[in-house]
Amino acid sequence: MKKASISSIISTALLCFVFWLLITGELAALIKGEPSVQVLAAGAVVSILVACFSARFFIHERAFYLLNPKRFFTLLFYAVIIFPIELIKANLDVAFRALNPKLPIKPGIVKVPVDLKSEYAQSMLANSITLTPGTITVDMAEEDGQLNYYIHWIDVKSQEPKEAGDAIKGTLENWVRRIWE
Amino acid sequence: MRIAIDILIGISVFFAFAGTVGLLRMPDAFSRMQSSTNIATMGVLGVIIGGVLYAIFILHDSAMAIKLAAMGVFYIITNPIAGHAIAKGAYKHGVRPKDPMCVDKYGEDLVDE
Repeated sequence: MKKASISSIISTALLCFVFWLLITGELAALIKGEPSVQVLAAGAVVSILVACFSARFFIHERAFYLLNPKRFFTLLFYAVIIFPIELIKANLDVAFRALNPKLPIKPGIVKVPVDLKSEYAQSMLANSITLTPGTITVDMAEEDGQLNYYIHWIDVKSQEPKEAGDAIKGTLENWVRRIWE
Repeated sequence: MRIAIDILIGISVFFAFAGTVGLLRMPDAFSRMQSSTNIATMGVLGVIIGGVLYAIFILHDSAMAIKLAAMGVFYIITNPIAGHAIAKGAYKHGVRPKDPMCVDKYGEDLVDE
């Protein structure tokens, strides 16, 4: 377990505070220009306390990384345009597979090499793959310095690690690398 | 605007239906999970986006819209982690498909460890 630095505590507290604003509905009050000072103060105290305890689990490398506007907008572009397109394609594919009377599936677990260094990038790619219907990341393991994902795939088109990786990851890996590295 | 909202909700109902049919028809646990991500992504997102539009343009209630959007974001962040944990737990616990999978690299590598 890495130790929490001051910057990671600050960024965790900021994130907690933003979610406090969202969930208590204070953001709408702020827009209208009539914020309640009590709610804001309580939120600030709670988010700083929570951040002190949980920052080391949450953010421990390069805390203010996403404040770089170029990276942030790349992330936004990925989350709003690139990923939903992949999501809709995969959704249609799996939906028609399930409704097809012949049930054309060929499940298997393939091994896919991944070249990402940052922990955030690795978990983001793994979660993107899991969220896409048709593929679930079962585990990730390092072997001879090469990181591998084990992915359950509903329609195995190729058993070769490289080809399977190209078919599953598509352009996602490059986008994730552009965001985090 | 009302029509756009109805179309969005209709799309998500279609995907939820396909996901449920898949859940009942798929032969083994892992394939069932694959089909249920159908419901979890397009099924839920369509309803949430439709709900946000409804809150903004028909109810004129921005607090409700913001809460719905926050729900969507949390859903997208937490759902894959749960799916991954269930799949890994099932595999480690010894759940295997009745018909052997066409390739099982994870099982082969687990034996080596």
